[in-house]
Amino acid sequence: MTRTLYGCLVRLHPPAFRREFAGEMLWIYDEAAPSGGAAPLFLDGFVSLARQWFLRSGYWKILAALAGGLFQVMIGGAIMLRIGQHRAQLTHYMAGNTELATLVRLVAFTAIGLLAAVIFLVFWWRKLARRIGV
Amino acid sequence: MLEDFSSYLPLSPASLHILLALAGEERHGYGMMQEVARQSEGQYKLGPGTLYDNLQKLTSHGLVEQAPHRRPDDDPRRRYYRLTAAGRGVLTAEIARLESVIHEARMHLRTLPRRAS
Repeated sequence: MTRTLYGCLVRLHPPAFRREFAGEMLWIYDEAAPSGGAAPLFLDGFVSLARQWFLRSGYWKILAALAGGLFQVMIGGAIMLRIGQHRAQLTHYMAGNTELATLVRLVAFTAIGLLAAVIFLVFWWRKLARRIGV
Repeated sequence: MLEDFSSYLPLSPASLHILLALAGEERHGYGMMQEVARQSEGQYKLGPGTLYDNLQKLTSHGLVEQAPHRRPDDDPRRRYYRLTAAGRGVLTAEIARLESVIHEARMHLRTLPRRAS
C-alpha cells in the first residue's frame, strides 16, 4: 500500500525527471523502507516534488512575476490610499493643472512600481541562488 | 593548463557529499546514500529525491556520468555513476576552499579572547 503511494508520488514529478529516475527511486524505496521506515522517504519525496516543479522546471519565474505584480499593486494601492487622505491639500496644490497632476502621479507610480519590482527580484534571486548553489 | 572550477563553488552540502561518495569508486544511488550516511557518521542522510535532483544537476554540468553495469545480471533499475575528470577537479577545488575556510576559522578562534572561568 505505502509502496503504491510512493509510486504515485514519484509519478507526480515532471516527466523528464520521472523518465530518468523513477525506476531508481522505487528501487531505493524497496531497499531502504524496510530498515529505515517509509516516513523519511515520503518527506523527501514531497520536498523533491516541490523542488522539481517550482525550482527546476522554471515555474518559480511565473510565481515570482505574479508575486512582483501583486507587490506592485499593493504598494500602488497603499500610496493611493495615502494620497487620498491628503487629497484636499493636493487638489489645492495642483488645482490649476490637472493634466500635470495626473502625469506626475503616473510617473511616480511607475517609478515606485519598477523600483519595488527590481528590489523584490534582486532579493528573491540572491536568496534562491544561494539555496540552489548557482 | 589548469581549469577554473570556481564557478561551481561553493558546492551545496548534498552535491559535496555525492561527489565525495563517488570519489573512491563508482556507486549506484542506494550505495551513494549509504556512503554519505557512513561518511557523515549518520549526521547527514540523503533521500532519493534529493539525491537524484543533485545527480541530475551534476550530470548536466558534466561532473558525474553514468557507468556501465558491473554484472549482466544486475537489476536494470540499478544504475552506476562515477566522477568525470571535471567532477574530480571541482571536488578538489571545493576541498581546497574548505581547507582555507577552516584555516581562517582556526586563526580567528585562536585570536579570540578566552572567557574567564
